[in-house]
Amino acid sequence: MGTMRDRAAIIGVGNNQYGKMTAAVSPLVPLAAAFKNALADAGIQRDEVDGILVNIGTPFGVDYDQVSEAFGLDIRFSDQTWTHGRQMSGVLAHAAMAVDAGLANYVACVCSINWARAGTVGDHGQFQDDREIGGAHFEHPYYGMTSPGGAWAMAARKYFDRYGATSADLAEVCVSIREHALRNPLAVMKKPLTVAEHQASRYVCEPLHLYDYCQTIGGACVVIVTTPERARNGPHKPIYIAGHQGMCAGRAEATGARPGLGIHQQDESYPVPRERDLLVYKMAGVERSDIDAFYTYDAMSSIVWMALERFGFCKPGEAWQFTKGGRIGPGGELPVNTHGGLLSEAHVSGWNHIIEMVRQLRGECGERQLPNAELLQWGTNRGDSLILRN
Amino acid sequence: MTAQQDIPAKPLPAISDFNRPFWEGTRVNEFRMQRCNHCKKLWAPNGPVCPHCFSDDYHWEKLSGKGKIASWVVFHKLYHKAFANEIPYNVAFVELEEGPRVIANIVGVDNKDIRIGMPVEAVFEKINEIVTVPKFKPR
Ligand SMILES: [Zn+2]
Repeated sequence: MGTMRDRAAIIGVGNNQYGKMTAAVSPLVPLAAAFKNALADAGIQRDEVDGILVNIGTPFGVDYDQVSEAFGLDIRFSDQTWTHGRQMSGVLAHAAMAVDAGLANYVACVCSINWARAGTVGDHGQFQDDREIGGAHFEHPYYGMTSPGGAWAMAARKYFDRYGATSADLAEVCVSIREHALRNPLAVMKKPLTVAEHQASRYVCEPLHLYDYCQTIGGACVVIVTTPERARNGPHKPIYIAGHQGMCAGRAEATGARPGLGIHQQDESYPVPRERDLLVYKMAGVERSDIDAFYTYDAMSSIVWMALERFGFCKPGEAWQFTKGGRIGPGGELPVNTHGGLLSEAHVSGWNHIIEMVRQLRGECGERQLPNAELLQWGTNRGDSLILRN
Repeated sequence: MTAQQDIPAKPLPAISDFNRPFWEGTRVNEFRMQRCNHCKKLWAPNGPVCPHCFSDDYHWEKLSGKGKIASWVVFHKLYHKAFANEIPYNVAFVELEEGPRVIANIVGVDNKDIRIGMPVEAVFEKINEIVTVPKFKPR
């Protein structure tokens, strides 16, 4: 069987200064800053980049042809994923396969989002709403089901009801991730959060409160991938892609949930995790207990629970207890999203998580640096995962 | 609150060749679903083939219209102006007696009284000559 283990490495990462943008700012602007930073970080010249992969295109992101023209690149390998969050780890895997297969020497994975250009996410007329079988977040505009958050709220309610968890339990996830953000100068959220403040905040889509929602402000990230041979010549220690597994899809999957929860067409008796949910550890040749910190797509706080259960960090229905008492916060047993995640750093579709993982593995994280970080995992409620090592 | 004249009409469902019989059903107050003639299973959401056995041999069947609430949410933030007079409003997943789950609004009950597991049945709200939208009320 083939393997991707250690056959590609991340040599450079770059981002812009995250913050509010108006709709008048082209997403190319923050991306130019991020691209320059990533090139400098990788120690390569712009003309050495011969591959580009884009996650999130027009209208609120950038398209591969536009970036290549605008930045004067000469690209021989390009591709672009759906204009959507989440597809991040698959893009990185695609880059790894491309350099391993000789399709490109240096692949720049880029994501730039100006959420102000999305209008209010969920307005009717958005690309996801008009499918005749419903949108990716169960959008049914004629019922007023017009916001991605509605999908997460549906799964959160079901989880509360089925396992006896409450919104106050969920608040602890938000508080811990905010604690991480307070140690990260890049994070847009600068103030501590308490469970009481979370509980007193308004509902957006009940049962989710304001603080259960991420920071859709905007930002740009660039991650440069190359072969291990080329990576060894760089200014930094290469960060190897040790393991990957892809995003799952089908009737067992539902936005905002993990398999078996009973949302959309999910069978409630479906076992979690299944063997295929844990293949990433096998590929990387490690055990789950070797993982030093966990990174997950936290567009809404409740999917942190779904991801922890899906990867077996705790049993189905037990994540709400697992995340109590600061266990996923700074200095906890399993730190989660040590930069503050989408909830408290910024929503750059998970690319900001990858950048944090690289910086942690290089030991560049100052006050929030994990002691002896050697193996970090990205994993989401949809089953996609990456294990990075130094 | 937005002035009445500023509130646009609610969006209409996207009707395609494969889901048209569903919307023809609601017009005569029937909740219909596709049943596979090969493996005999029902499926939602509507689609061109049976997702269980991939057969395209199916018929539309009238269901009981009865089910229970599988999960539900309440929109407090207004995302679509057409719902300006309804905020806060609910949206639910209804698990039909026959198995599949569908999205709909729950009517005839205060949002605070909605519960997972609550038994409900379909009611039909005529929008125009073409579109009638099914909703559910407690039974
Ligand atoms: Zn069938």
